[in-house]
Amino acid sequence: MRLTVNGKAIQIDAEPQMPLLWALRDLAGIMGPKFGCGIAACGACTVLVDGAPVRSCVMPVSQATGAIITIEGIGTPEALHPVQQAWIDEQVSQCGYCQAGQIMTAVALLEANPSPTDEDIDNAFGGNLCRCGTYPRIRAAVKRAAGGPAGA
Amino acid sequence: MRFVVALALLALPAPVLAQEAASPQGLAEWQKIYEVFSHPRCANCHTEDDHPRWSGAHYGPTRIHPFNVRRGPDGFGNTGLTCQTCHQETNAQILHGPPGAPNWHLAPAEMVWFEKSSAQICAQIKDPARTGGMDLEEVAVHVRDDALVAWGWDPGPGREPAPGSAEETFAALERWTALGAPCPAEESGE
Repeated sequence: MRLTVNGKAIQIDAEPQMPLLWALRDLAGIMGPKFGCGIAACGACTVLVDGAPVRSCVMPVSQATGAIITIEGIGTPEALHPVQQAWIDEQVSQCGYCQAGQIMTAVALLEANPSPTDEDIDNAFGGNLCRCGTYPRIRAAVKRAAGGPAGA
Repeated sequence: MRFVVALALLALPAPVLAQEAASPQGLAEWQKIYEVFSHPRCANCHTEDDHPRWSGAHYGPTRIHPFNVRRGPDGFGNTGLTCQTCHQETNAQILHGPPGAPNWHLAPAEMVWFEKSSAQICAQIKDPARTGGMDLEEVAVHVRDDALVAWGWDPGPGREPAPGSAEETFAALERWTALGAPCPAEESGE
């Protein structure tokens, strides 16, 4: 089976029903997307497929036929994605476990809506849970990445 | 005066009286259709507000879909959290995993079935202004052939399917239409 991940074609040997997250982490060694709940109820595994946010823990790998982008694919330590830079500037993360998923949702939101309101942010992030409660800083970082005034 | 009122009632046009004279067979066919349309597998995503509903054996009373999931501008959810962020083309096989079917989305608000009476749903389904322009024949074919509708009878682990089958509901719609598509009277107190 062939996947396109972060601009590269990779070949994996997987059952069609294997969750995309399993294929990424266990077969392709791409460890950015995290396992949280396994039932699309927390958002830690969020990746983009053809630009749309997807919970990779519930997408069968056989349905992941589009271009897959994980957090490894949006920037590098030398050239951070604006969302990653905003996350550092706002010191969003605490334990950090959910943050790869949070950042991928932010990337998807800002791609479609470069100037999101508070309501737009609430509507986008309702499925990305953070047990450290970093939501005010997530909101500030999304606004900072959008180029607007930041501040929680 | 009473005599005049009585005469006026006798003079009511036929269609008003026809409802009371609706064929019992036609109403029986409608009852089969109503039991499908009002079933949670169908009605939970035919809501008139912004929220799909959840219900099932382990969920307690029917509740609003969590995660701040909303209709969005087109029924497919909001940017950053669309229906298809979680709902894939097939059911998750794990209990409480998200159900899935192609094109997962909410029905338009005017096609509301959730918490509506049999008479109200019947009136809606016969009104092309509230069926996306579909007449009854097109509604029947939609019920028989649409992949998202078909999910209602194959809803994945832990969920009760809608009664009957897509083919049986199609057949009931065809028979009901042939019998004049009668609607039940609104029950008092509804």
